[in-house]
Amino acid sequence: MRRWIIALMITCSVAQANAQQHPGYKPVADVAGFKQQFATASRQTQSIQCDFVQEKNLSMLADKITSKGKFWFKKENKVRMEYTAPSYYLLVMNGKDIKTKDGQKESHVSTKGNKLFEQINKITVDCVQGNVVDNADFKTNILENAAGYLLEMTPVNKQLAQYFKTIVLLVDRKDLTVNKIEMYEAGGDNTTISFLHKQLNVNIPDATFAAK
Amino acid sequence: MRLLLLNSLLLLCILTSCTNVYKDLQQTPGDPGCITQFRPQFDNTLYSTQVDVMKHHLSGLLFIKQMPDSSQRVVFANEMGFKFFDFEFTRDGQFIKHYMMDKMDKKAVVKTLRGDFELVLLHPDLQKATVKKDGQFRYVVVPTAKGNNYYITDTACTKLERIEKSSSRKPVVKAWLTDYKNGVPDTILIRHQAFKFNISLQRVQK
Repeated sequence: MRRWIIALMITCSVAQANAQQHPGYKPVADVAGFKQQFATASRQTQSIQCDFVQEKNLSMLADKITSKGKFWFKKENKVRMEYTAPSYYLLVMNGKDIKTKDGQKESHVSTKGNKLFEQINKITVDCVQGNVVDNADFKTNILENAAGYLLEMTPVNKQLAQYFKTIVLLVDRKDLTVNKIEMYEAGGDNTTISFLHKQLNVNIPDATFAAK
Repeated sequence: MRLLLLNSLLLLCILTSCTNVYKDLQQTPGDPGCITQFRPQFDNTLYSTQVDVMKHHLSGLLFIKQMPDSSQRVVFANEMGFKFFDFEFTRDGQFIKHYMMDKMDKKAVVKTLRGDFELVLLHPDLQKATVKKDGQFRYVVVPTAKGNNYYITDTACTKLERIEKSSSRKPVVKAWLTDYKNGVPDTILIRHQAFKFNISLQRVQK
């Protein structure tokens, strides 16, 4: 019995510590209820089309690099990110196929047999679709405030841990879509992607996601 | 037959790799310091960047920042924010590797990249530099451990033609810094001569 009380106290203090790292947020009271709501919303989201602003914050340089572009998502696993500033870059993920295009070259790769690519592909789709709470590659803490939810994901996978200390998703309370992804690196830098002007369930032609 | 083969090889060697491409340069009086006017005034500069190494192609954004202590930081990350490397070149010529992506973190790769960016940052030690010329260009020759660095300009030293890092006989790396605006080149191209390793930088608005 005493062991259970200690375990409960540790869980509570960890949750409290996580909440303190994110001022204004407190642990979600009904985690199961949230997961159910989140899953329902993601089932109803067939597509997302929006603008995005990405900020790479370089802590040691006290500076940041801002990029902008357009984002498309279509169920089940199609993503297109088209960077328009400061330079052009295209990333299309369609199932196991990935296409990239920069100012000079177009490349096609398959995630088949590439574990890291598969994981990054899965994280991107899961983040956008809201399935990330069930991703076994992360330990997830769920916090909330009046405006929305905060999902703090810590990689348990060694390979992912090389790149990310934590990934934070800020979720809109109204439609339960992701407003912002914050990726924190071990070295202190972070990259945030804010999704703006979201349009849900608009018709997006499959050709938008041609990756072969 | 064997003698013929040997002679052919020797001839080939003389005509190509063994030839000292700099042998006809003539010593000329002049101030080696004139090349410092081409030192890029990197303050807070961003370049769209493509790197081709053998069969691999990397693209991303290269950020060069002058720090308050006068050191220069060179950070290269892909478009999605994954950092490839973060180097510091200090005012007194020291080099600090702050970060290098695991898969790229090989001594030879770091050394090569360090050498390439040292050429571009253009902080040569001119104490032992000499000035040479040919019919077309003026060469500021800076001795290095394995050869020379050649800073090649027009004869009046008003325009930087290119920079060559050389062995004792031929260039191993060539770099072009062009379209200067407010002391910063809009375009930088670095080409290794012995193997496919090209870095291409195009300035973009931050």
